[in-house]
Amino acid sequence: MDGLKEILVIWAAELRRAVRSGRAIVLLGLYSMFSALVLLVVGFVTRELQSQLNAGLPGSTMDPDMAAQAADQMHRGVLGFLTSNDSAMMEALAHVPIVVLIVYKITLFFLPAYIALMGFDQVSGEVGPRSMRYLTVRARRSSVLLGKFLSQATLLVGLVLIIDLAIFIYARILNADFAFGVLVLNLLKFWSATIVFSLAYVALTSFCSSLFRNPAVSLVFNFILLFVFWLMDSVGQAVSEQNVLRYLRYLSPSHYSGNLLHPKLAEFATSGAAYAAFAAVFLFGAYGVLRARDL
Amino acid sequence: MSDLAIQLNNVSKRFGPKVAVNAVSLQVRQGDVFGLIGPNGAGKTTTFSMMCGYLYPSEGSLQVMGVSPTAPGALKGRVGALPQDAVLPPGWEVGALLMYWARLSDLPQPEHEARGALEKVGLMEAWKVQTQALSHGMAKRAAMAQALMGRPPLVLLDEPTAGLDPRIAAQVRQVIKDMRGTQTVVVSSHNLQELEELCDAAAILDKGSLAQAGTMSELTGQGAEFRVQLARGDVIIPEITSLPGVTDARMEGTDVLRVRFDGQAHKAEEVISRTVAHLLQHQVLILGVSRGRRLEDRVLQLL
Repeated sequence: MDGLKEILVIWAAELRRAVRSGRAIVLLGLYSMFSALVLLVVGFVTRELQSQLNAGLPGSTMDPDMAAQAADQMHRGVLGFLTSNDSAMMEALAHVPIVVLIVYKITLFFLPAYIALMGFDQVSGEVGPRSMRYLTVRARRSSVLLGKFLSQATLLVGLVLIIDLAIFIYARILNADFAFGVLVLNLLKFWSATIVFSLAYVALTSFCSSLFRNPAVSLVFNFILLFVFWLMDSVGQAVSEQNVLRYLRYLSPSHYSGNLLHPKLAEFATSGAAYAAFAAVFLFGAYGVLRARDL
Repeated sequence: MSDLAIQLNNVSKRFGPKVAVNAVSLQVRQGDVFGLIGPNGAGKTTTFSMMCGYLYPSEGSLQVMGVSPTAPGALKGRVGALPQDAVLPPGWEVGALLMYWARLSDLPQPEHEARGALEKVGLMEAWKVQTQALSHGMAKRAAMAQALMGRPPLVLLDEPTAGLDPRIAAQVRQVIKDMRGTQTVVVSSHNLQELEELCDAAAILDKGSLAQAGTMSELTGQGAEFRVQLARGDVIIPEITSLPGVTDARMEGTDVLRVRFDGQAHKAEEVISRTVAHLLQHQVLILGVSRGRRLEDRVLQLL
């Protein structure tokens, strides 16, 4: 009970500090700038393709019905590409504008790096200058770690909600047939999926931050690990099904992101459990390091 | 419960091949102001850091207020600590930071505690000041304030007056004096005059090892030694040595007579009076008498 209270006190204090500092604004700006850039590029490309289809190909005599059919086929083609042709997922996401899906996919690719930038100094930034010493005579090291992890996670939950909301509103403006009810439902789905995905990476950042006294070294090591995970997933998917290296992909968190929007509970739960397991492993690792180290 | 606040048994700390603290054993009684003395690199801060649970000992065992300081949550509410060179976290107003730490220490009235502690160290004007905007002296006092919140039974202070101006340093010394008897205080410092003034007992460390530990009276020899500053006259050493209680007498230079006596069997005032009377009888004129020797002299002799 005492430990829980410590976690809550640290969580609330760290969150208040983060929100009041300019850092939260900078992070929000960075995230929204990146999302806006992706949104604009993808939106522009989608609109261009759509207008070409609507106008008919030069020299051809495509009637409006055929153009609509071609647009639908293109939508389904892109959706199939983004969902690995999973029919259940395609059906579930059929009413979501493609631009939202593409931004979501690209965001998931860059979000781990963003999370690393957000929290690389959460522990190392206090161990290096020894301000951690003021905390550890008052609270357990586990409470300090979990309190800081939760404040990072909460900040991220807020930032992702703001950005996701902005993306969905933008998509609603572009697509009049994107119904309000579908928007809200999918906003919650996309937000939840991003949060489940992100928590493992917040834990990874906590782990990297616990390993070193120097925040810059924590950040570089975090990026190295992200690259290694990306490499493991890529190699695991690229090799043949007979190659033993294919198992590498299961060791990479990003491998499990595909089913986070899956309508079937079992598929979603498997991905969610994988991310929960990664988060637990990274957090236990961080605690092990912090518990054993001299401060 | 033991009357010991701190107990170190053969504690060593190594950083790679370097031995920072080597088999140190010492005890601090509850209610004492205890000094950790030694030159740079003597192992004071390392010993202090092990007492606070910041560092794990490589060998040996420590008990602080009856618990191992490295056990999770063991020191909560028992210890207030002023670590040396620990930077106050940036992005906080001093008052808000102290209240946060008071809440974390489970103190019932965080704001009252924070304000009270800042008042003790004369820093109330910094309540709304950001920690990164504090001068060195102000940051030191804010750090000192956090150690005092809640009147913990044990207060560990590493170089509490380093970098403070004389007026504030005197104020801090007074705060430490006020804690004597009701709280145990461990003070690590280079300032031997300050420690002599403040401490009931001390440990002298050198190159990681314990050179000597004891009460201030034992360390300075107050109960077994005195010096007579002479103005004029001849001292007959054998006659002084033959006085009751005197075990040794010798001249230090031309005008200081150092006398050692059996402090267990004879009261200091009796031996001093007899010696002075003897000197006056022999037309030796005296400028002054001082008991024991300065802590600084003792430390310089040991190190």
